[in-house]
Amino acid sequence: MSTPTWDEFAELALKRITVSGAEYGDMRIQDSHTEHMEGEDRRIASIRDVRDIGFGVRVLYHGAWGFAASSILSLEEVPRIADLAVEIARGSASVALEKVRLAPEPVHRDRIVTPYRIDPFSVPLEKKADLLLNTMETLHRQPGIARSNASLWVRRDKKLFVSTEGSHLEFDLLAGQGDCTATALYDSRFASRSFNTPHLRKGYEVIEEADFLREASRVADQAVEKVKAPAVDAGQYDLVLDPEHLSLTIHESCGHPSELDRALGYEANYAGTSFLTTEKRGNFRYGSRYVNLVADNTEPETLAATGFDDDGVQCQRWDIVRDGIFVGYCTNREVAPKIGESRSRGSNRADGWENIPIVRIANIGLEPGSATVEQLIADVKRGIYIEGHGSYSIDQRRYNFQFGGDAFWLIENGRRTHMLRDVIYHGITPEFWNSCDGVADRSFRRRYGFITCGKGQPGQSGWMTHAASPARFRRVQVIRGEGS
Amino acid sequence: MTVVSGKWPKMTTRDEFRFLSDLVFTRSSADHTMVSLRDHHAGTTRFANNQIIQNVDARRGILTVTVAFDRQHGTASTTDFTAGSIQDTLARAERIARVSPADPEYLPPPDPCSFPIRDTAKSETVAAGPVKRLEYANEAIGHCRMENLMAAGVVSSSGTAVGIAADNGLFGYEYRADGRFSLTVQAGDATGWSAAAHRSIDHLKVQERTLAAIAKAKRGRDACELPAGRYPVILEPAAVAGLWTWLIWSLDAKSYVKGTSPFAGKLGQVIVDERLTLRNDPDHTDLLGEGMTHEGLPSIPSVWIDHGVLKQLAYDRFTAKAEGVHAIPTLEAPALSMDGLSLHSVQDLIKNTERAILVANFWYIRPVNPRDLMLTGMTRDGTFLVEKGEIVSPVKNFRFHESPLRVFQHLSAWTAPMEAVNSETRKMLVPAVALPHFYFSSVTRF
Repeated sequence: MSTPTWDEFAELALKRITVSGAEYGDMRIQDSHTEHMEGEDRRIASIRDVRDIGFGVRVLYHGAWGFAASSILSLEEVPRIADLAVEIARGSASVALEKVRLAPEPVHRDRIVTPYRIDPFSVPLEKKADLLLNTMETLHRQPGIARSNASLWVRRDKKLFVSTEGSHLEFDLLAGQGDCTATALYDSRFASRSFNTPHLRKGYEVIEEADFLREASRVADQAVEKVKAPAVDAGQYDLVLDPEHLSLTIHESCGHPSELDRALGYEANYAGTSFLTTEKRGNFRYGSRYVNLVADNTEPETLAATGFDDDGVQCQRWDIVRDGIFVGYCTNREVAPKIGESRSRGSNRADGWENIPIVRIANIGLEPGSATVEQLIADVKRGIYIEGHGSYSIDQRRYNFQFGGDAFWLIENGRRTHMLRDVIYHGITPEFWNSCDGVADRSFRRRYGFITCGKGQPGQSGWMTHAASPARFRRVQVIRGEGS
Repeated sequence: MTVVSGKWPKMTTRDEFRFLSDLVFTRSSADHTMVSLRDHHAGTTRFANNQIIQNVDARRGILTVTVAFDRQHGTASTTDFTAGSIQDTLARAERIARVSPADPEYLPPPDPCSFPIRDTAKSETVAAGPVKRLEYANEAIGHCRMENLMAAGVVSSSGTAVGIAADNGLFGYEYRADGRFSLTVQAGDATGWSAAAHRSIDHLKVQERTLAAIAKAKRGRDACELPAGRYPVILEPAAVAGLWTWLIWSLDAKSYVKGTSPFAGKLGQVIVDERLTLRNDPDHTDLLGEGMTHEGLPSIPSVWIDHGVLKQLAYDRFTAKAEGVHAIPTLEAPALSMDGLSLHSVQDLIKNTERAILVANFWYIRPVNPRDLMLTGMTRDGTFLVEKGEIVSPVKNFRFHESPLRVFQHLSAWTAPMEAVNSETRKMLVPAVALPHFYFSSVTRF
């Protein structure tokens, strides 16, 4: 007997769900292939090749969810898991107060494939290892570098989504990323500086388009300069933040609070709730008039641009903050109707086949303005230019945040001067975004992705991209990130 | 509710793992071959706004093969345990190893040993399905409804078959059960929290912890705002565990040797209050001790900080060999204790305090500076002003900016070690403590 096809497994599961009397059900079968190479201190420390295949069945029975999943894809296991999902949903329904009602979505039948120039799994491992070894050697060429790291990560997800409503969606998605880090030692201090390609849905060209050796030389120089740099003096500074740094600021202070499930209390026990409560939509001044934050899950190459989400809802583009006013949430089919929206925004995503999808941050980006970076800096008397990611923390309603960075330069009288170290800034989200008085134009726009956004119980990692042009913020409180 | 999960799934047994690993060894052409197993079955019932929002059950088995030709090594994994897939996984690992650069830090698999046998497979947890979880969730929700409060939380139960084997005869297998409960009670703007983790789902003390979270939430209404600054504090066990988790994660021996550790040059020196001792206590019934590590080393009781003196680091096998460390200590069951007369409870700490901030838990703790282990984070789900031996008011949450290496230099008062777990830390036994100085750098809006 030949091995059943994914479609045959799916048909088997959907039949069990349908005869159970459930009002809705779906199934995701996923085959993920990950290759991860890590270099440390001039050696290839590990190369891992992971194949992860399994399926999950989700059932809505009398307004309550049940979900079951297994890594055994067989004719015996599929109906057993479908039945288990139904049983769990029945149990949930027996104590349900408010029944889940799904926002309508047209039936979709489609196949989504990531366009690529170079299949990342076709590139010889020797070539990838050589790149990392040469990158680490370049880092160590700079005197003062004590440690080096470099890594490459590529992933292919083949997925089938089917629902009892008739949607049938096939996915063949790629993603990749690479990075390197230099750590410098000086006078019993140490400091690191990194280069990261963005995580993008492309082929191996995401690695080849980056000049790792040139970037390694740059970050090694800057690591040494950083470790010897003076520590920042605490006080108020104007900040000019680069796109990579802003990607994290946007993620934490705009992305998470705009997740509607958080605003409705679903994450109260873990990831937290949101200060952007539902009565604020349409009337709350989140930022200055320069601040336009747009969710765009249709932009090619970005992580959340997968054609459809794990509700089978088509990816969309919509406003989160328009002219400084908070206007929109990230939603799924379950929560969208709770604020009177007739359609989900398509932000329901699961971390692999073994997890139930939950509301996730979309590709939220800061819309470009009209300035150049030079103009933003020229109008700063005393400020700091910040690149990259460092320390980060934010409260459970996303008001009080604190960020570091990867590299800092003092701005004096309109000129970027020398590097600083141990820069930490903190603030309250709407006050911070209301202090924005300039965003650079589209030519400065860059995109950075996240693949380890933690949320949910059991914990899940979410993927999304945040794009931005450099932006300026006035009179932000800066402290020194070391003990007194 | 009828449940199929009581009979499902059949997890990979010791004999089956031995069969699978022998299959790999028979077919391997490498100089060294290791096989590891993680077959995990977990169910989670999640609730919010006083009703079930998520009810899930998942089983995921993964087999990982690592091979080496001399010092060239490669690793491949699969979730498909059929013979063909396992053969393919071995072939992928061998293909990687053959083209990998020689790794100067590669070491052959550890020698075979007898792993300690620990009571990790609690049948009551393994047998617990959605019915038991629903029962616990309903208990928490019921108490909150009666008080007109909102409950959000989670009940989970899991069983994991873990195995490690090598072609030199190394073989270990263990079944680990894990039950968890956590609850956030919302009383308007105020929140109260409690959590538990245990090998036995019967030891989660759901009612006791629910009532504790309710009491905190009710007491947290109408919080006042205090200015940022230095305060004496009383830290409940979860808050202590949050700070010590980062200290433990920073004990990496390779960073120590390379000079990129906050402990550089401090091995054998006093790093915290000389009455504090940190042990690994894997046989303690309330900790989540294990018999072996993922590297194939036995988990052993050990002392890491002895009366304030740093005694151990977290060694990878290469660094241990280079530094002449023969028995690599593990720290999966941390127990922190304080010499001297301890108080009975957090309430006793409060009674003995003139003025302090009482912190139930910290949230989103992250390093600010790895050189001095400066951390930041927020207080969460229960922050109060204590004056003259009593809680006088809830206060708005603070952001802190502190290093555990500084604040644990001197403890004013403490309890005996208690169970502690939060959303970002592994379970520990730690005392609740009173500290004379703690720096809160800013205040949030609630």
